Amino acid sequence: MYVVIIRGQSQSLDTVSTATIGYAAGFERVHRRRRRPRESATSVTLEAQLVLFGLNGLVWGMIVALIALGLSLVFGLIEIINVAHGDLFMLGAVLAWYVIQTTDNFWLALATVPLAVGGLGVVVERSVLRPIEHRPIVTILATFGLSLIFQQSVLATFGGSPQRIEEPIRGVIPVLGTFYPGYRLFVALCSLAALGGLWLVLFRTRWGLWMRAVRQDREMALALGIPTPRVYMITFGLGAALAAVGGVLAAPITSLEFQMGLDVLPTAFIVVIIGGLGSLQGTLVAALLLGVLEGLANVFVTPTTARIVSLVVMAVVLFVRPQGLFGRRG
Amino acid sequence: MGEPLRAGVRAALPAPGGLASGALLLGLLALLAAAPAVLSPYHRGVLAEILVWGLFGMAFDLLFGYTGMLSFGQALFFGAGAYGAAFAIFRLGAGLWGALGVALVVAAAFALAVGAVAVRVSGHYFLVLTIAVSVLVFLVLESGHWRWITGGYSGRPFPAPPITLGPVRLPLTNSLAGYYFVLAAVAVAYAACHRLLASGVGRVLASIRENELRARLVGYSVESYRLLAFAVAGVLAGLAGALYALTAQYTNLAFFHWTVSANAVVWTVIGGTGTLLGPFLGSGLVILGTDVLSAWVPHFPILVGALVLGVVVFAPEGMVGLLARAVRAR
Repeated sequence: MYVVIIRGQSQSLDTVSTATIGYAAGFERVHRRRRRPRESATSVTLEAQLVLFGLNGLVWGMIVALIALGLSLVFGLIEIINVAHGDLFMLGAVLAWYVIQTTDNFWLALATVPLAVGGLGVVVERSVLRPIEHRPIVTILATFGLSLIFQQSVLATFGGSPQRIEEPIRGVIPVLGTFYPGYRLFVALCSLAALGGLWLVLFRTRWGLWMRAVRQDREMALALGIPTPRVYMITFGLGAALAAVGGVLAAPITSLEFQMGLDVLPTAFIVVIIGGLGSLQGTLVAALLLGVLEGLANVFVTPTTARIVSLVVMAVVLFVRPQGLFGRRG
Repeated sequence: MGEPLRAGVRAALPAPGGLASGALLLGLLALLAAAPAVLSPYHRGVLAEILVWGLFGMAFDLLFGYTGMLSFGQALFFGAGAYGAAFAIFRLGAGLWGALGVALVVAAAFALAVGAVAVRVSGHYFLVLTIAVSVLVFLVLESGHWRWITGGYSGRPFPAPPITLGPVRLPLTNSLAGYYFVLAAVAVAYAACHRLLASGVGRVLASIRENELRARLVGYSVESYRLLAFAVAGVLAGLAGALYALTAQYTNLAFFHWTVSANAVVWTVIGGTGTLLGPFLGSGLVILGTDVLSAWVPHFPILVGALVLGVVVFAPEGMVGLLARAVRAR
């Protein structure tokens, strides 16, 4: 019988090794048994749990923000729903694994992999998406084809079994009366830096100005001599690079395999929808909000139920404000 | 989203009830009816499976190709049908027809519930909403509370009841009986779908696809018609799920995963969007390709991705369109 290739949802980061902080921080959401606050209270207070889970949510929210911002950026400008976006995140993580395998240097991976994936994004936009511009359904299907190609290429070279990367920063940092892995705080800071970089590009460079101009009025921008096609290309590359930054940063705290993008994509979609399609501020706010909310929910309910929280939030937002939190009514 | 759809889809709309296509279909049916004579039991199983997945793709195409709603949520109804049938057998002790009936009712209930929300939004929101709802339902079922029905990832094997036709009792496990059972069910579903699309309702659905606003202004209740299409597609997907579960004699939580819906997209796009036959050709090509070519072509799935991309960009009418063009050129 033909086998449907499916896997379990293991969307998100893994359990911190209990040795580092003496307590499972509970990233693993699927097969973990429900942690009853009373039992764990023997070792960790509720406050400490709230801090840990809240931080976990924040870190994951930052990574999701990087991914979703790329999605939102591309959608706002080119009106492409990029179904392969989750796979660009996956490519970032997997390429990081390759770089670390050969050079044993995480920082080199962090510096080079986003550039490589960004370059891939530019090539994809130029060769595949350019000819079918402004045909939304066709572009969605085309990016879906790309998604299959990316996944299967990684399966063919990287293999099907999950891999791990060592955390490049060891040690824990005292936070609000408890301890938190240093690397995860670094992830949050690094994501913040990447977001700051994006803001600088958008608001302090000529290309950013062009991007915003094309976003507002394509025809007028074209009439004023802005090289619109090249702006598209750069935007798509930038979105891909952001997803790859997320992938590299997430690589040491999750397990790497060719389908890891499949789980991230719906999350990123939900974030973009809640924030308002095409609204960058909305995307950022929604990603952080959902991350923290879900993280905190982990303290009280099962990880699976915690994920449902974000979906319920989306349903409520769509009913009350169909255009999303920050979306313009259109 | 009606506008951009026209480019790819309208050209491939068959003339319903045309004599040539009728003769072609009858010939195809005769061929399929005669096929088991030369096939081994294993290949009968493969062919039956192609028919089931083709039916699943057809259900998707009713939504996408004919009504213009790109849904990634069809797996929900496939799963609902599969579990409906299984539940009727191992809990209610139903026979084959009872199981089919329960499966269709459950699938219809799921489709109406999801559709009531989903048909209110269109375009990109619809796509993202269907993915999000899939993820939500999957998570709910995955969380422990529903294990008594779902059986979790290990699935739930159950004995297939015999096919009872009056005094005749045929074992469904017999490859020949199973094949003809599937063929008959698929043929009936195909005929019903064909009939629906050839009717006035089919015309209204096409008008909604072509220009939603105009259909609304003419006075049609767009939401009602879209809900109708959504429900019919859900029931057909449920039938496919029930057939799959009955012939394979097991169900699995993975049936609900949104990547199963993505398969329907692949088969439909490759076979021919906006045709009833296309999804069957597509599923046949991909499944046979995976089954046969994998031995010679390493990493065949990469080829599937490239095929989707190529078809979308260069031959939007898919295989059906290419065949029709070849016939016309002759």
